[in-house]
Amino acid sequence: MTWTWFHRLASPPHVYRVAGRLTPWFAWPAALLILGGLIGGLVLAPPDYQQGDGYRILYVHAPSAWMSLMVYTTMAVAAGIGLIWRMKVAHAVAASCAPIGASFTFAALVTGSLWGAPMWGTYWQWDPRLTSELILLFLYLGYMGLRSAFDEVQRADRVSALLAVVGVINVPIIHYSVIWWNSLHQAPSVMRLGKPTMPPSMLVPLLMMLLGFTLFFGALLLVRVRGEVLSRERAASWIREALRP
Amino acid sequence: MSAFAAARLVLARDLRLAFRKRSQLVQPLAFFAIVTMLFPLGISPELSVLRPIAPGVLWAAALLAALLALELLFREDAQDGTLEQYAVSGRSLTWLLAAKTAAHWLLTGVPLALMAPLAGIALGVPGRALPGILASVALGTVALSLIGSIGAALTLSVRRSGALLSLLTLPLDIPVLIFGARATELAISGEAYGAPLELLAAIAVLGLTLAPLAAAAAVRINLE
Amino acid sequence: MSFLDMGGYWPYVWPAYALTLTVMVLNVVWARRLLGRSRKEALRRLSIGGSET
Repeated sequence: MTWTWFHRLASPPHVYRVAGRLTPWFAWPAALLILGGLIGGLVLAPPDYQQGDGYRILYVHAPSAWMSLMVYTTMAVAAGIGLIWRMKVAHAVAASCAPIGASFTFAALVTGSLWGAPMWGTYWQWDPRLTSELILLFLYLGYMGLRSAFDEVQRADRVSALLAVVGVINVPIIHYSVIWWNSLHQAPSVMRLGKPTMPPSMLVPLLMMLLGFTLFFGALLLVRVRGEVLSRERAASWIREALRP
Repeated sequence: MSAFAAARLVLARDLRLAFRKRSQLVQPLAFFAIVTMLFPLGISPELSVLRPIAPGVLWAAALLAALLALELLFREDAQDGTLEQYAVSGRSLTWLLAAKTAAHWLLTGVPLALMAPLAGIALGVPGRALPGILASVALGTVALSLIGSIGAALTLSVRRSGALLSLLTLPLDIPVLIFGARATELAISGEAYGAPLELLAAIAVLGLTLAPLAAAAAVRINLE
Repeated sequence: MSFLDMGGYWPYVWPAYALTLTVMVLNVVWARRLLGRSRKEALRRLSIGGSET
């Protein structure tokens, strides 16, 4: 009986309806949190004693980097569920994740490069975090490329799901090998703030941004999943009812 | 017939078929040699300049050559229906694909490992480093064949999958590159290179247990 | 305004924020566009196979 909610999640019409109703509950809190985080991070938080006001890029870089990893994990989990239980909805979720994750990985790379630039004197360094993000971007692009190579949605779903699961096993391996590689060569690493711990005035806006971005991802996912679910249903009877204006 | 016996048959078959087309086996090696040659031409003929970058150049070239060689793994069997026969044979597809990957390594990885010391010499590497280079490339190509088999299986039904296969496989190959190059670097400076070698072995073992399984799943999806 | 100057880091801070904002806006646009296209496509499929259900 506790499994009925799980089975309802597998039902495309149910997901289509519920996702539509839930979207504002994610979108508005996300907007508020992000707005609050921006005010807190750009105005209220004090300058860093080492990096001055330059550290404020943290408030967009850290959420972007967080998104890039969280979205990939979500994508891999959804893909795994779709593979094991053959759930169309799970595959729809995985498909929805990829463009979101890739774009935020790109944002993390650019904001990370901009953050380091005044400190490094160059726009790029093979910093372990940036290098890992770059590799992650390629993993996303590979996933999306594999998807688009198949005309039939079902096969695209299952093949790319396998790739996502293989990829997620590799992500920690790649990440630690990159850290190991970097440590051998004593390259400079920025993205640490001057103090060992962050005061609340700096920390709270950061947490607000992280939570706000997460909820924003939720809202985006809800919208995209509806679209993906629709395109996976042929001419099912529930669509006529659901799309009635 | 047990899965292992069937696997042995597949291994023998693949080796036999490959020997009939020996010219095809040379191509990845030639590619490896050419790519290695590009770096002195593009950078400098001075061995003192090439020696420090030799590990990176060797391993980048090895990764690319291994990638090229992946064409040989599934393509023909997919085209003439042999792979389909394997899938419906009732034998474990995982074991059969593991056998194919083993054959692939014997046909491409081992020759690469034998060539790599020569490429090293061309890049100014001292003689004491050669055993280390051979060992690390031999071990690394095991992992590369296994990782590559996953990508090859995933793109089985994709036409002209070369660029996509590279995009899928090369990021996953990066740990092999990092540890292999480190082993080579240590070998060149005469230090002990056991630690990165062990890491390479660990990746190979992980690949041995997981890659044929993933490849079998991918093949089945593509044959549906 | 020292706020805009960001302690001299303005050529780094503001482009970073602008880019992130752009990525967010683009994501909203793409998501809505996907849903709109899927709805249109689904309605089209329904009208073609009108008597199927």
